[in-house]
Amino acid sequence: MKSKYLFGGTIIVIFLGLMAYLFTQSNIQYESNFQKVMTKDRTVKATGSWVKDKNYEINKEKRTFSFYLQDENGTEMKVIYNGTIPNNFESARSVVVTGKYENGYFHAKDILTKCPSKYEGENVKTSSL
Amino acid sequence: MIGSIVLSLALLSSLIAMVMFFLNYRGYKNTLNYGRIAYHAMAMLVIVGAALLWHAILTHSYEYKYVYDYSSNDLSLGFLLSTFWGGQEGSFMLWLLLSSIIGIVLQSYSSKRGDLEPRVMAVFTLATTFLLVMVSPMFKNPFAFIWADPTFVDIKNVNSAMLSLPFLQNFIYSDGQTKQQFVKMTADLHASLASAGISVNQFIVNGKGLNPQLLNFWMQIHPPILFTGFSMSTVPFAFAMAAMMKNDYRDWVKQSFPWVLAGAGILGLGIMLGGYWAYEMLGWGGYWAWDPVENSSLIPWIIGVASVHTLLVQRKSQSKGGVGKFAKTNLILCLLTYILVLYATFLTRSGVLGDASVHSFVDPGMLVYLFLVIFISAFILLGFGMLIYRWKDLSKNIETEESLLSRELALFTAAVVLCASAIIVFVGTSAPLVSHAVETTFYNEMQLPIVIIIGLLNGLSLLLKWKHSKGKDLLKKSVLPISATLLFTIIVSVFAGITNLMVILMILAISFSLFVNLEIAVKIIRGNMKMLGAYVAHIGIAVLVLGIIGSAIYSQEQDIDLIKGQTKEAFGYKMTFTGWSPIENGKKYEFNIHMNKGGDEYFINPVMYIASYNNSLMREPAIKVGLTKDLYISPVGYDEGNGETGKPVSLAVGQNIEYEGYQIQYESFDRPDVTKMTSGGDIEMGPKLVVSKDGKTYNVEPKIKGSMGNFTYVPAEIKGANLKIEIKKIDPTSEKADLVVSKLVEDTPKAPPKEVLSIQASIKPFISLVWIGVLIMVLGFFVSVGRRLKESLI
Repeated sequence: MKSKYLFGGTIIVIFLGLMAYLFTQSNIQYESNFQKVMTKDRTVKATGSWVKDKNYEINKEKRTFSFYLQDENGTEMKVIYNGTIPNNFESARSVVVTGKYENGYFHAKDILTKCPSKYEGENVKTSSL
Repeated sequence: MIGSIVLSLALLSSLIAMVMFFLNYRGYKNTLNYGRIAYHAMAMLVIVGAALLWHAILTHSYEYKYVYDYSSNDLSLGFLLSTFWGGQEGSFMLWLLLSSIIGIVLQSYSSKRGDLEPRVMAVFTLATTFLLVMVSPMFKNPFAFIWADPTFVDIKNVNSAMLSLPFLQNFIYSDGQTKQQFVKMTADLHASLASAGISVNQFIVNGKGLNPQLLNFWMQIHPPILFTGFSMSTVPFAFAMAAMMKNDYRDWVKQSFPWVLAGAGILGLGIMLGGYWAYEMLGWGGYWAWDPVENSSLIPWIIGVASVHTLLVQRKSQSKGGVGKFAKTNLILCLLTYILVLYATFLTRSGVLGDASVHSFVDPGMLVYLFLVIFISAFILLGFGMLIYRWKDLSKNIETEESLLSRELALFTAAVVLCASAIIVFVGTSAPLVSHAVETTFYNEMQLPIVIIIGLLNGLSLLLKWKHSKGKDLLKKSVLPISATLLFTIIVSVFAGITNLMVILMILAISFSLFVNLEIAVKIIRGNMKMLGAYVAHIGIAVLVLGIIGSAIYSQEQDIDLIKGQTKEAFGYKMTFTGWSPIENGKKYEFNIHMNKGGDEYFINPVMYIASYNNSLMREPAIKVGLTKDLYISPVGYDEGNGETGKPVSLAVGQNIEYEGYQIQYESFDRPDVTKMTSGGDIEMGPKLVVSKDGKTYNVEPKIKGSMGNFTYVPAEIKGANLKIEIKKIDPTSEKADLVVSKLVEDTPKAPPKEVLSIQASIKPFISLVWIGVLIMVLGFFVSVGRRLKESLI
């Protein structure tokens, strides 16, 4: 009886240890403050909104897609993504990019776009016809 | 109005049913019939409610916010019907509808098995009550009117004939950024319209519509099947509770077994349908992204599968009388299956995964969030509270020692490993709750060894006998499958050139499982086919894993630019882009690529279009399905060839942009001479720009020259920087300039404009095995249901 629990217990400890280790290895933190993003030297998930005024650029030869992202404090950051423009980028407001900030740009390896909460009160400015 | 009333009555009936069933369990004699009547009344009312919602959708009754938000006039019947589950209110309605129907079957089933009915139904109706509260006017009511909470309706969806109504002007708003105009639908506007004799249905004539990516057959069936799986998971929970209520842990095992099997089979199918949709529709070439929402439905499935195996052991060990082994484990696992389904619901609907998942929906608000927390807490407290209460009685069981070489121990270990797998997914999925995320490598690296262990355990457990096996016998039995496994693994590894040790071990383990099950299945086919269930399911899983190994690890991709008329070769396929044509009434465009492989010729047609739903570029892949591999063509972009090659920018005074390493700063706006403008003379205006790089500075000003009403655009050319800056337009009031920046002299001589279709072509080896494997697995589940259904009555 005892040896069974000892055996099982050891396996559980090893399992949990392995999981904890791998978790820290593949862990990515969410960061909504770009000042922090720009100083961090590891992969993060930066959340912000796409600066529509600055448009986006698709570079066919290098196969990159770049645009500007802005955080809640207004800090802007250029993002370069090695891939194609996501399907609903035009209508996206919030964007989450996964990657690292290096040499002046945020090198994104993943983009998540979120559609705006459709005109729920505050987003709409008022004016009459 | 009537919809809300129907649902409120259903809620009342559910409560009455619950109370009646509970009282009956407590010994009050007459209450059972009342409970039955109340339950059937609830189910009828829910069905009527669902019919009313479908009716509102089909008749385009945009007075209902839900109908406005998720449907539109242009949808075909099939898609229109599926908008029922397009949003949260509707998907809760769907869950409720399916649960109600399942409850009818459950009521009949449990009534034929002793005193099971009141206990099981009391718990089941608690679940339906919570769902009914969720769709009640308090929370996510599908019948809420569009003016109940102010809603901004796009002006294009409003009856144009009514736009001139005087009282309407106060309700018109425009979005500063997009310049779109909206009518604010409020209770006041509703009142004004009503007094003018106009119904909201006459006023709002079209809905927002559904995201075009959801307008797909697989999306039509994935939610209903998935939610059936979710609803089914309520049943094992109810059975576990019923056992604890009576403090009798023997019969519930055989009685709940067919339900656990059916639920796991349906849920598994539902999950994979979601993956198939992603593969066929989204264009990234995969079917499983370890997305938190995908994961949250996988976790209860894994637990459900684990419970199947421990229930089996308990069933088997009851043969000599008594409760059997793993009584506590089975209660815990069956309680957890439903609780994890509720947790999945919480994760996807509460908005906590907002930044983590493409699936995450808009924040539903504090009230709904709190209610979801209450919902899941109630069932955790109820289930585990009961378990703690009964713990002493459960511990009275004498646990017999099982030998090391027994099927019982192998199955128990398998269940433990499955739970470990579920915990891994749970941890990774819940990480965003604490602002962390994990890369997909976390899941892949941890699940890989688990798959290997499961494969080996599965084969081993079937070679082992119940209670005890002699080492010698075990070895003798395993000779055939082990040889087949080694042969298969060697052949596959050599043929495919596999050098990765983990992958080889995976193939070894899973083929071991495959051959053990195949051998047994072949023996059974000649006998009682009903016994085939488990073996077929395991074979299905083995096929699925082999398909995953092929498609996930060994797929190849290549980015190709196809110039119209020119043939390029990739993966042995000769591809030629021949042109494009409109499809689906001009809503979408298919791009025709002629394929030639070894004489076999056909067309592959990926699709691209701008969706009116969100003004975004949408892309759909084209897939050439094959047994040994899929050819996957994902469209990336299309260049007409005569477009601008420059970068468009929009600048206000003081702003700057960067191009090719140069900083371009908009210093000031050179205003036109107003007096000259009014007198009709020649004028000039333009943005004064400072272009700089590495210390070198250029001051330039592209201009718009006007002479007698004719305007000419003069670009600024900087030879030293090889830049050309043209004006597209300037707003003299805001001084905002829309410019195009490009290279003055192209690096390569400008070729004549040509149409280019950019694609990403990939080969997905053996991906068909993934779908086939799942189907075989589901088939196995249902064969088992057939077998265990009969046994549940004994």
